[in-house]
Formats: sequence, structure tokens, C-alpha cells
Amino acid sequence: MVSPVLHGHHSPVNLTPCPVPFVNTPYHFSIRDINIYKKNCGLVTIMEEGLSKGSINNGIGGVESKGRDIEVAKHASGGVCDLLLRVLALVLTLVAAIVLGLDKQTKLVSVQFVDTLPPVHVPATAKWQYASAFVYFVVANVIACAYAASSLLLVKIKGLGTLLSVVDALMVALLFSCNGATTAIGVIGFQGNSHLQWHKVCHVFSKFCNQVAVSIILSLLGSIAFLLLVLLKLHRRT
Amino acid sequence: MASSGDPEFISSSTPLPPDGNDNYFKFDVILRFLLFAASLVTVVVMVTSNETKLVLFQGIPVPQPAKFGYSPAFIYFVTAFSVSGLYSIITTLASLSVVKKPHLKTNFLLHFIFWDSLILGIIASATGAVGGVAYVGLKGNKHLGWGKICGTYDKFCSHTAGSFAVALFGCVVTLLLIWLSAYAMQRRIPK
Repeated sequence: MVSPVLHGHHSPVNLTPCPVPFVNTPYHFSIRDINIYKKNCGLVTIMEEGLSKGSINNGIGGVESKGRDIEVAKHASGGVCDLLLRVLALVLTLVAAIVLGLDKQTKLVSVQFVDTLPPVHVPATAKWQYASAFVYFVVANVIACAYAASSLLLVKIKGLGTLLSVVDALMVALLFSCNGATTAIGVIGFQGNSHLQWHKVCHVFSKFCNQVAVSIILSLLGSIAFLLLVLLKLHRRT
Repeated sequence: MASSGDPEFISSSTPLPPDGNDNYFKFDVILRFLLFAASLVTVVVMVTSNETKLVLFQGIPVPQPAKFGYSPAFIYFVTAFSVSGLYSIITTLASLSVVKKPHLKTNFLLHFIFWDSLILGIIASATGAVGGVAYVGLKGNKHLGWGKICGTYDKFCSHTAGSFAVALFGCVVTLLLIWLSAYAMQRRIPK
């Protein structure tokens, strides 16, 4: 049984006189009790995660202020990192979707139908809609961007922390899979595949292929941002 | 008074519900074993998919093989799932050891989430790569001049499709593992 302890050498900050009768009562102190106490008195000092020591001060609630400052600072910086990563993910996936979505190149290709006739110049177009992997890439990046935007608004609501983590992990899987698909198609377009008789196209449409490469890199950075979000949540819970 | 009360304070904090964490590690072991099984099946089915068929080349039927090694995407797929199989063996054993020694729970939860996320990224990109290439092999792409190959090589295509389906299942299992670990970590912190 722990009896209330008087700390005379430092004063807690943000005090509200508390109607709950903590004075002169032997009281087991635990994090749940602190949170209940917080709700009763409107005292905004205590972090939600981890264990903490607390003490009762003259019947007015408070915590050792040094511990409180460190813990609130950790919580606040974690929140700032979270928002920053979400904004980064939003921007990166948006730009990746736009860069590939506006990708189009037309070139005059000389085709020789018959050996005797001179080669004929035919305009050939490369659009991103021509490969299903690119369509999947754009759609997945748009979904990830929309999710990042909506999670920026929802991150302040306290109960949704784990749900956001869960959907973050889902976005990691989605983005990594679309990156893999586009990279595979891009590599085939770049090198061709002689065994399967798939000829390379990037030597003709070089601007198109460069834009695809840039888009893949941006989306990869966006998916790493989502991965860091999952790991940041993990780091904050310890 | 405060210092003498500390051990009592730690022990008198709100006790965690015991059922959740025991069940968590049972589910964890089961899911990790499923991941191992999925990785193994994926790799084996992909590796045994070689097929040789007679293809008409300039009027002469020539035996033309189709192997998984002909495409870099398939090689990456097999490599990624081999890594995942090895990882799932190690973590299944780690998870089993935690069931025996429950005091290591929190450490292992952290490591599990971290490595599970990395493996999810690798597996998902491999699945996506094979999905993209196999789809072009199935339907062809007339804009790019890439012909479909599944009409000729049916065994190769069916092996690839089966491997892709099991790989997708493996991705889902890894995602469930991350969700389980996140849920278990949330429950450890009494609200």
C-alpha cells in the first residue's frame, strides 16, 4: 500500500483543484488510475503509453514534472514525425501517379513491310494505358494518396491509432506490389526477352521509359514512407 | 515512502488479461507455420514448372523450352519466397520459444513487427512482379508487340498461376501477422 507522498521541492504545472478525494487516502498508483484521474480533473499531463510513476501532492493531482515533460515531449515529437511522414507519403504517391498518368510519347517509326519497297514512316504512340501493370500502378498510387489524405484528418482521433497502423501495413503491401509489377514490365521493355520473343521498346520510346523509371522511384519512396509509419508506431509504443 | 513503495507500485498496476497474450502466441505460431508452408509450396511449384513444347519456327517444329529462369521477374520471385521461407522457419522457432519462456514477449513483439513489415514489402513486390509478367503472358500485349504464350505452354502457365495464388495467400498471412502483433502490442498497454 502506498500512501500519498508530499513533494515540497517542486510544484507540478497545469493544476486543477480536484474534487476526487485523494487526500490522506492510501492509494495504489497505476497508469489506469492516472488516466481516470485525468478524466475526472481535466489535468493534461500524462502520456498514454508506457508505465509511469505518479505521486499525489497535497490532494491536488500531479506527476513528477521532469518525467512528465520528457514523456509529453516524446509524444509530441512522435506526433509531428507521424504527420510529416503522412504528408511525405501523400506528396510522393500523388506525384508518382501524375508522372505516369501524363506519360505519352509519339514517334515516327520506320517499318519495312516488304524488302523491295523503301521503309514507311508510321507514327507509333506509347501510352501508359497500354500495359495493365501501369494501370494498376496508377490506381494503387491514387488509392494510397487518398488514404494518406484522409488519415491526415483522422490521426488526431485517439481511438483510431491501431486501425491506422493496420491500414498503413495494407498500403505498404499494395504499393510494393504495384512497384514490383511496373518494374518487371519496365525491365522487359528495357531489355526485351529473347526467349519469349518480346522485343524491347525503350530504345525507341526513351522519354516514356525514363518517365516510368522516375515514377517507380517516387512510388518506392512513398511506400518506404508508409513502412516507416508502421515502424514509427511500433517505436512509439515502447 | 515513494522508494519503498516502488516494487509494490509495479506489481500493483492493473494486471493484463492473461488470455489475450497466450492466444496471441498460439495464433502467431500457426500463422508463421502457414507462411512457411505457403513459401515452400510457391517455390517448389515455380521451380518444377519447366516445360518443352514443339514450336513451329520457319516451318520446322523445334523443341522450345519454357523455364522460370527465362524471366528476371520469376527469378526474383523464387528468391524472395526462399528468403521468406527461411525467415518463417526462424520466426516460427522464435515464437515457439516465447511460448516456453513468456518473459521475452515484448522484445519478440517488436522484432516480429519490424521484420514482418520488411518481409511483407519483399513478398508483395515479388508477387506483383510475377502477376504483371504472367498477365502479359496470358493475354499478350498487341500495342507493344508481345505475344501470349499460355496458349502453347499450358503446364507452365498453370504452375505459374498456382504459384501466384499461393504467393498471394502468403502476402495475406504476413499482413495478418503484422495486424496480430499490432493488436497484441495495443492490448499490452492498459488503457
